[in-house]
Amino acid sequence: MDYNVTVIGSGPGGYVAAIRCAQLGFKTALIEKYDTLGGTCLNVGCIPSKAMLDSSEHYANAKENFKAHGINIQALKVDFATMVARKADVVKQNVDGIAFLMKKNKVDVHHGLGSFVDKNTIKILAKDGSEKKITTEYVIIATGSKPTPLPFAPFDKKRIISSTEALELKEIPKHLIVIGGGVIGMELGSVYARIGSKVTVVEFLDNLIPTMDGALGKELQKVAKKMGMDIYLGHKVTSVNVKGKEVTVKAEDKQGKELELKGDYCLVSIGRQPYTEGLNLSAVGISLDKGRIPVDEHLRTSVDNIYAIGDVIRGPMLAHKAEEEGVFVAERLAGQKPHINYLLIPGVVYTWPEVASVGYTEEQLKEAGRAYKTGKFPYKALGRARASMDTEGFVKILADKNTDEILGVHIIGARAADMIAAGVTAMEFRAAAEDVARMSHAHPTYMEAVKEACLAATANRPIHM
Amino acid sequence: MAVQVKVPTVGESITEVTIGSWHRKDGDTVQMDEVIADLESDKATFELRAPEAGVLKIVKQEGETVPVGELICEIDPSGAAAKSSGESPKKEAPKKEEKAEATAEEPKPSADGAKKSGKVREMRVPAVGESITEVTLSTWLKKDGDRVALDEIIAEVESDKATFELPAEAAGILHIVAKEKETIPVGGLICTIDEVADSAPAKAEAAPAAESSATSEARTYAAGHPSPAAAKILEERGIKADDVKGTGRDGRITKEDAMQAQPAPKPSEKEKAPAPQPAAAPASVGSRNVRREKMSSLRKTIARRLVSVRNETAMLTTFNEVDMKAIMDLRKQYKDKFKEKYGIGLGFMSFFTKAVCVALKEWPAVNAQIDGDDIVYHDYCDISIAVSTPRGLVVPVVRNADLLTFDQIESEIARLAAKAREGKLSIDEMQGGTFSITNGGVFGSMLSTPILNPPQSAILGMHNIVERPVAKNGEIVIRPVMFVALSYDHRIIDGRESVSFLYRVKELLEDPGRLILGV
Repeated sequence: MDYNVTVIGSGPGGYVAAIRCAQLGFKTALIEKYDTLGGTCLNVGCIPSKAMLDSSEHYANAKENFKAHGINIQALKVDFATMVARKADVVKQNVDGIAFLMKKNKVDVHHGLGSFVDKNTIKILAKDGSEKKITTEYVIIATGSKPTPLPFAPFDKKRIISSTEALELKEIPKHLIVIGGGVIGMELGSVYARIGSKVTVVEFLDNLIPTMDGALGKELQKVAKKMGMDIYLGHKVTSVNVKGKEVTVKAEDKQGKELELKGDYCLVSIGRQPYTEGLNLSAVGISLDKGRIPVDEHLRTSVDNIYAIGDVIRGPMLAHKAEEEGVFVAERLAGQKPHINYLLIPGVVYTWPEVASVGYTEEQLKEAGRAYKTGKFPYKALGRARASMDTEGFVKILADKNTDEILGVHIIGARAADMIAAGVTAMEFRAAAEDVARMSHAHPTYMEAVKEACLAATANRPIHM
Repeated sequence: MAVQVKVPTVGESITEVTIGSWHRKDGDTVQMDEVIADLESDKATFELRAPEAGVLKIVKQEGETVPVGELICEIDPSGAAAKSSGESPKKEAPKKEEKAEATAEEPKPSADGAKKSGKVREMRVPAVGESITEVTLSTWLKKDGDRVALDEIIAEVESDKATFELPAEAAGILHIVAKEKETIPVGGLICTIDEVADSAPAKAEAAPAAESSATSEARTYAAGHPSPAAAKILEERGIKADDVKGTGRDGRITKEDAMQAQPAPKPSEKEKAPAPQPAAAPASVGSRNVRREKMSSLRKTIARRLVSVRNETAMLTTFNEVDMKAIMDLRKQYKDKFKEKYGIGLGFMSFFTKAVCVALKEWPAVNAQIDGDDIVYHDYCDISIAVSTPRGLVVPVVRNADLLTFDQIESEIARLAAKAREGKLSIDEMQGGTFSITNGGVFGSMLSTPILNPPQSAILGMHNIVERPVAKNGEIVIRPVMFVALSYDHRIIDGRESVSFLYRVKELLEDPGRLILGV
């Protein structure tokens, strides 16, 4: 065999799995279809969108908030081309970083489309048409996902676009219609809303970011409206038509009342679907389940030496979930017995304010009939938040009514994405709300809101409210 | 007034001790409970603690041998007040003790409402039986620092004969000295208890389950929850979180707890322990892991005694076969009635025990044993019954089996076997048998040569009952047959006696009517 382990796909799941395998002493290969490593996350997902989010946030701050800070800027304007170029540079730095890490860990990178010949042989078809085969003891499939198109309006990549194109636009849309008010739609929608686009969001369900705690969606809706976004909840899109530079989106609400929107771009962000094209899974007898690769609790597929991780399998499509799974499989192959607590994989939305949560949502606890209590603390009451004019949002702690164990941490507000790690730590150790409430939190910080919310959950005794 | 310190009674058979070393000098001011000297007996070394704070006056010098009860030193408490505060125990004190001392000083937040009396009770291995010189601490049921109530069971201790429970000798805060799996000589220090005057003595009466929550800080939902790293380590070592005592906040299992956890003595759970070398090629083949475990005291003793039987007796075995038809018919006919009347099933053991008792009376040498130059005959039959338990073979004794009825024998065997499997047999219940019966038939044995159970001189081996062709009155018939074996010590039992004994047992079993009539 040429390799102990071959990883197909170099996204955050795949490249992390490859590094961990190499660390554990396996001879490891990494196959990537595209020219650059890093997958969706680094190339057209998390990293570039955060770059754009930050740029747009700076602009919005300069425009809206600087005056209050005593900073006056004349003739403020967006240089969109530079904004996109900077984003491209950030991406390049990151993907080069991955290439370096592969070299450092002595992982062999093969560029080309990997497909199964048999369970131990992978054919790699390079862009230039050349072909080679490698043999391997184990395979980890980490081919990720791609945006789901509307069945009646496929991506034309010019006017009907996915997140990938939304990060590569040459101009600022005049009116961006976003179909799907989930994480991606809200993040990219807020980028363009801040730099001057009119943004309209059409969501099928009754809440934005519907997988998260309901209170977060409601707060985000408030913030989005303040930003000037139009939000239509409970609307089903019925048609998307492009005529020249104009996109017409038709939708109807539950009563069948029709809504017609006209814009110059339509971002379809209704979800992502597992990507397994070209893998030739039938050669090894793996059949898909609703597009996903079925795996057992050890992330092993129906073939005993083939594993799958990340977006191609069940669970939330998150980079950090895929990373944990990459490490998990590598360590299992080395005979170790790691564990992943899927409940404690945090969800994050990088709008501003950010949204982040971990554990059970209030809706889930209600449905499970669990006795719980809630502690909530608004950013408004926080000294740090007032000082930096980031007073929107709150921290919400859900705790078991009897034991006080923290069951869910839900934050919307500045730095929520970073703060949620404290929630994960507390919950991994099954901390009680009072435990956190009794830990010293530095002042003045946003994290004080977590402590105060825990005090509120413990016995409704926050200090600063 | 000076307090006189005398040689304590340290164990049944210990009559004198030697002063190993003085830790403090004549005229030193000593603290209460400070270790002031090491005493040595022929069995163990132990520490002498000051019963009072004060000025030490040494009476017996190092190396002197002192009978139990005799004066070793005096402590004058009147001189203590002036000097005591600055003094601290000397460095020579054994490390273990120092630690116990140090922790004893820490106030325990769990002991709210309770006052420390300042007394420290040392718990030592009690003399549990004549031949027992050491015990192994199998399990601590309480944690270091726990509040324990008087007589609350704090640990399980295993000797080569039995497992017994260790009740707390005082109410207070437990300081563990002996670790789990450690072997401690009789008289050796197991733990100390900081005596605490309990504000609510009623607690001690509570059931053990309720006790644990009352004594340690209230047990929360988080007790026993492993941290992510601890969970991985436990999983890899095949240890259940339930079996690990967490030392983290509210009993959470920390990474350190997981690393130090002892695997439960259940070999089947550990078979899949993975090879920990990550550098090796992927572990695609089955485990070739080798496990090494400390022999339990019980197993060590079994091993030692069995070899000594081989070496020290003139053991041989005689065989016979028993046609079980009559007994089986009898059982078939009466087993329901028997069960109805006595509440216990009619098994084969009662028949064998009764038959053996009759035969023993007729052949007293088989029921005898050698003691030095004497032969000790028993006019009673205490029959040892071999019982297989997860810890090893034990042989509880059915007393006066010759006087018992069938149902009494069956009930007694059932009671003893149940206790044996729970490891709860007392030493008394295992000592003093005059003859043994072992039944390898329950595992399917056809024929075997049982090994003597010293100091007894003979043992009967039962085997499985198999239908065999037997010639009866010139015809071949199928009969349920059991082979029986009698191993005996030829030093006091001759062939005539052993063979006749076994033949007699055969007669009685083949025709149980003889048991009634005694013919």
